[in-house]
Amino acid sequence: MLYALMGLGLALIAGILNIPNFAHGALFAVGAYLTVTAIGAFGNFWLALALAPVGVALLGLLIEYLGIRRLYAAGHDYQLLFTFGLSLILAEAIILVWGPVGISQLPPPVLRGSVDLGFTIYPKYRLFVMSAAGLLVVGTWLFLEKTRYGAIMRAGIENREMVSLLGIDIHRLFTVAFALGAYLAGIAGALTAPIRGLSPGMGVDMLGIAFVVVALGGMGNILGAIAAGLLIGVAQAVVAAYWTEASVAVIYLVMAAVLVFRPQGLFGTR
Amino acid sequence: MKLRIAAVLTAVFVLPLLVRPAIATEIWIFAIFGLGANLLIGYTGLLSFGQATFFGSAAYVAGYVLKYYGLSVFAALGIGIGVGAVSAAAVGYLCVQRSGIYFIMLTFALNQLFYFVAYQWTSVTGGEDGMPGIPRPVIAGLDFKSPLLYYAFVSALFLASLWAMQRLVGSPLGKILQAIRENELRAAAVGYDVARFKLLAFVIAGAFSGLAGVLYAMLFGIVPLEAISFVFSGNVVFATLIGGSGSLYGPVIGAVVFIWLSESVSVLWERWPLLLGVAFVIVVLFLRGGVVEAWSRFIAWRMRWRSSKRAA
Amino acid sequence: MALLETRGLSKSFGALAAVDNVSLAVQPGTLHSIIGPNGAGKTTFFNLLTGTFAPTAGDIFFDQKRITGTPAHRVAHLGIARSFQRTNVFPALSLLDNVWVAAFARRPSWSGLLWRRAERYPELVERARQALADVGLAEKSHHLARAISHGEQRQLELAIALAASPRVLLLDEPAAGLSPEESRRMVALVRTLKGRYTIVLIEHKMDIIMSVSDRISVMHFGRLIAEGSPSEIQRNPEVRRAYLGGVAA
Repeated sequence: MLYALMGLGLALIAGILNIPNFAHGALFAVGAYLTVTAIGAFGNFWLALALAPVGVALLGLLIEYLGIRRLYAAGHDYQLLFTFGLSLILAEAIILVWGPVGISQLPPPVLRGSVDLGFTIYPKYRLFVMSAAGLLVVGTWLFLEKTRYGAIMRAGIENREMVSLLGIDIHRLFTVAFALGAYLAGIAGALTAPIRGLSPGMGVDMLGIAFVVVALGGMGNILGAIAAGLLIGVAQAVVAAYWTEASVAVIYLVMAAVLVFRPQGLFGTR
Repeated sequence: MKLRIAAVLTAVFVLPLLVRPAIATEIWIFAIFGLGANLLIGYTGLLSFGQATFFGSAAYVAGYVLKYYGLSVFAALGIGIGVGAVSAAAVGYLCVQRSGIYFIMLTFALNQLFYFVAYQWTSVTGGEDGMPGIPRPVIAGLDFKSPLLYYAFVSALFLASLWAMQRLVGSPLGKILQAIRENELRAAAVGYDVARFKLLAFVIAGAFSGLAGVLYAMLFGIVPLEAISFVFSGNVVFATLIGGSGSLYGPVIGAVVFIWLSESVSVLWERWPLLLGVAFVIVVLFLRGGVVEAWSRFIAWRMRWRSSKRAA
Repeated sequence: MALLETRGLSKSFGALAAVDNVSLAVQPGTLHSIIGPNGAGKTTFFNLLTGTFAPTAGDIFFDQKRITGTPAHRVAHLGIARSFQRTNVFPALSLLDNVWVAAFARRPSWSGLLWRRAERYPELVERARQALADVGLAEKSHHLARAISHGEQRQLELAIALAASPRVLLLDEPAAGLSPEESRRMVALVRTLKGRYTIVLIEHKMDIIMSVSDRISVMHFGRLIAEGSPSEIQRNPEVRRAYLGGVAA
């Protein structure tokens, strides 16, 4: 489910700004680290969960405004290279601020322990994350499908020139899209913190998976990204149960295979 | 032109006096790697984020045969170039069908695939620990264990690579690749099978990467996992762009800057990649032609300054 | 015997028939124009001829041979060259290189592809210079394509097509976006090409069409609604109706 969340944010940015956001993984990591700091500062998990992703969204806003927008004239390649350089800067900055050693974070007391689901015992926190991420995915999807601005965003994915011809501020659209994508990455990171702990490399790993999700789902295809995210998450869990070490390699293998036989992704139309 | 050749030759001779031979060797190895990468990035306009795939694959395979089969240096070089070219052909074939974002993400994902295979296949690659114990075979009685001798060998290969790349970019292929970069549609309309030419660019870049990979393995005596990682792919992108992707010598300058700084600054400050990222972002925002552009702008400014002084 | 011919050529995008059953024959050495209101399917028709799109029905014949389904990059090798409505040059290359690259593609052998320097192909350099001279850009051969004016880029657009030494030139609105003075020069240029090449011309500017065409085909909503000599077309009531009583200037 987290993969779906990450894929969704990345697909949004890829669809509207037409660049693969190389900083997406780093934003995820920043979200996680900010959450841990916020928990330390406020002593309250829920407050941290609410605020940290907003911080990431603001960071996303800054990134878009100071960098990506400036490079609009230079072309997509340079916008993407900008995010690439940024991913390095953010990764190093994280180490600078929080140190190179991994950090672990416990879930809030109310979500500790496990729940008996009848067929298996499942950690409470993971259930929470699944539901929260699921809610966010559904919420974002509803926003895109049902609200006016969401429709504008979807139109922007389909046909950018048309949208600007309709008099809509295309630059504002880009900023919002990027900030929204950043928010989704940030909250995914925030939710992840108590599950696997934090390490500076978590951004790069997640970036790879997010790329796979978006590629499988079909570029810019929101629903596809969600579906692919779920698929990958499930597939990985299944593989991990039988052949733990290969679970990550398998993801990339599946991606390569799909792209060879079905280049438009599982759900894409192009 | 002659000036640039002289500058490069001077650099080759002077470098081992300024830094340890091992670092100087690493610089030229990285320069070969960068030359190949820039054929794709700068000349064809294909942002490949997976160059380490070919570099690392060649390093592993050549390292393996060197270690267990004791082949000669030239056989190893041949294998390295071959593996680099073949892996690039495979990856390239999958990637050139796609364009834009898809292409970039695919190069990244395939790199990750190779990385995780190398990570898992510990019996062959040694996984996280890398593949140690790679020898530097002897040629005609010359023992390459001596760092200076190996440096001479590598820099000779570098100069050969530079010459080859120069012929390549001045050839019809060079123009065709640039035409593809400038306007794919028109390049096809004019009669070029764009996908096939992109694949050719991949293969050539892969060959250069493969050469660099073998030399790298022999330099350090070990093939670390990093050599096939996305980070390493990123490094060559950084170096090439900082040096200047629009020119032949850009990647060479980039290699010098990158390796030198990474070896010297990293001792002073462990977080030196932050500076690298910042430098890269500055280049992307303000100085897209990299050091090469900065240099030519400086020269132009100095000429204007001089002529205005003369006029005064 | 027609040099370039289509029979029942059609292209549909879903429910939209962009080109509908167009049968057309272009005689060698003539200038055959295709006119029609915006959206009539003229550029799509060109895209079908050059293999950019695959037709949904019908056939294309070149020199009596069926060439339907030839991919875009092979069409140039048949001897069909095209210029585009939106300028499609190679901005970062010099004018000479722009044209040289087109000339090289048509060289029977690509020997030296990987290592011979451009200047060592004297025939190609000569053909490139000739193409630039034909369009009047000879003195600017070393300028970069992005550094010249829009009007000059339209000339370059044409030169790239000429450099391929084609038998058929497909010109898609060569005067698009040109000032009246530049348009006049373009018309004069097209006139010099007449007779040396077989030309199919798409244009909106009626005065150009009427003054250079040997034959005119009129398209409307993807279909051919009329065909004939310039004077016949001028008198044709259906054509008048298609243009809503006025002529597109």
